[in-house]
Amino acid sequence: MEFLVPFKIAFALLVSVDPELMGIIKLSMIISVSAVITSLAIGLPIGAVLASVSFPGRQVVIILSNTLLSMPPVVVGLIIYILISQSGPLGWTGILYTPYAMALAQTVLVLPISIALSRQVFETLNNEYCQLFLSIGISRWKQMKVLVFDARIALITIALACFGRAISEVGAVIIVGGNIRHVSRVMTTTIALETSKGELGVAMALGIVLLSTALLVNMASQLITTHFKKTGLDV
Amino acid sequence: MSSRPTSSSVIASADNIFITHEGRHLLHDVSLKVIKGAINMVLGHNGAGKTLLLSTLHGLIKPQRGNISGPIRKKQKMVFQKPVVLRRSARDYFEFLCPELDENIVLDWFKKAQLEAKLTTPARQLSGGETQKLALIGALATNPDLLFLDEPSAHLDFESTSFIESQIKAAHYTGTTIVMTSHNRAQAERLAEQVLFMENGEIIEAVTAKKFFKSPQSLAAQSYLKHY
Repeated sequence: MEFLVPFKIAFALLVSVDPELMGIIKLSMIISVSAVITSLAIGLPIGAVLASVSFPGRQVVIILSNTLLSMPPVVVGLIIYILISQSGPLGWTGILYTPYAMALAQTVLVLPISIALSRQVFETLNNEYCQLFLSIGISRWKQMKVLVFDARIALITIALACFGRAISEVGAVIIVGGNIRHVSRVMTTTIALETSKGELGVAMALGIVLLSTALLVNMASQLITTHFKKTGLDV
Repeated sequence: MSSRPTSSSVIASADNIFITHEGRHLLHDVSLKVIKGAINMVLGHNGAGKTLLLSTLHGLIKPQRGNISGPIRKKQKMVFQKPVVLRRSARDYFEFLCPELDENIVLDWFKKAQLEAKLTTPARQLSGGETQKLALIGALATNPDLLFLDEPSAHLDFESTSFIESQIKAAHYTGTTIVMTSHNRAQAERLAEQVLFMENGEIIEAVTAKKFFKSPQSLAAQSYLKHY
């Protein structure tokens, strides 16, 4: 029954509300939530424009954003590392090995998700509403506002999908964050480190938190979708 | 066209409009004048081009050839056969259709349509009749000069149909010009003042309703009325 030992240690750490563990969980949440907010702030307008405005090169932008969906996280980490390292063009920011760099990496990783999913939602709505928009004769700006408002429920599930992707990310954040104790150590990087050290208890405790977070995010997404399908407010 | 109304008071017109799709003429050399203040009924079989004509006159579709003229966008409205409903409450949807109305006026319209109990109901949860009524009052509340109605009471019960007809008459009374389609002969006879009869994307008869229902000139119209 030796394999149960890490579980026992994990539960003990969680029940005792270990301060270092809680610090890591808190930092993970702050970084991922910041990344999701930033990626939505950038991605939703891009998705809305791609869905409703015709311009030369639109298809190219769509293909590019879809391609970025399958971009390996370590490659994203590497590119950001090059950009923000001392000799890089953004080296002056001094954010390498800080939570800012990790949030930036996560933002870049989830941005294609927010663009692709929001474009699909906005496209569905725009196809449905375009005759009404044309008939009423409202401005493009007002059309965008209507699309965003009416997509609000779908956008919550997109945000949850982005959060799920961001919080579970390890490859990019370990490159740009450096996994420095009390500075840039998050759940995934700690799991990788502690496992390599053979400290499976801490790793398992964080694994349980990560799994629980994923479960909660998916439950919330499912509940929202089911509830609003009944009211006709879903897309 | 066998004959055309000659009134000088024209609110909208189409001159030699053509719309072709995959080699098929959907609208073929259509010219017409919409008489101001009248209820103009567009009749014809399914696929004759009635909805397309309304959409083109309203400016939703640009003809490949020919010209359209009419009031400015804000002064004309269209109620679709299947209204496009936003994902918000009935009240918010109504206020989207006709913004800047006083609260009392909004409530009056809902009462008139017997929808006051549905103010906060998501608009997409309304029944077909309720949705059609909501779309109609949303258009009428803006007091349009020209109103296009594409089969406004298709598949609706007597009560909803009766409400819609009463509102059409009320709007007509206050000077709104109506251009509508209907597959209900009794309704067409009750409401129409002018009839535009379409066949295969062409207007083949444009006469007063009285004349059309009493003695249609074209063979197509005679045949249509026999089965109508």
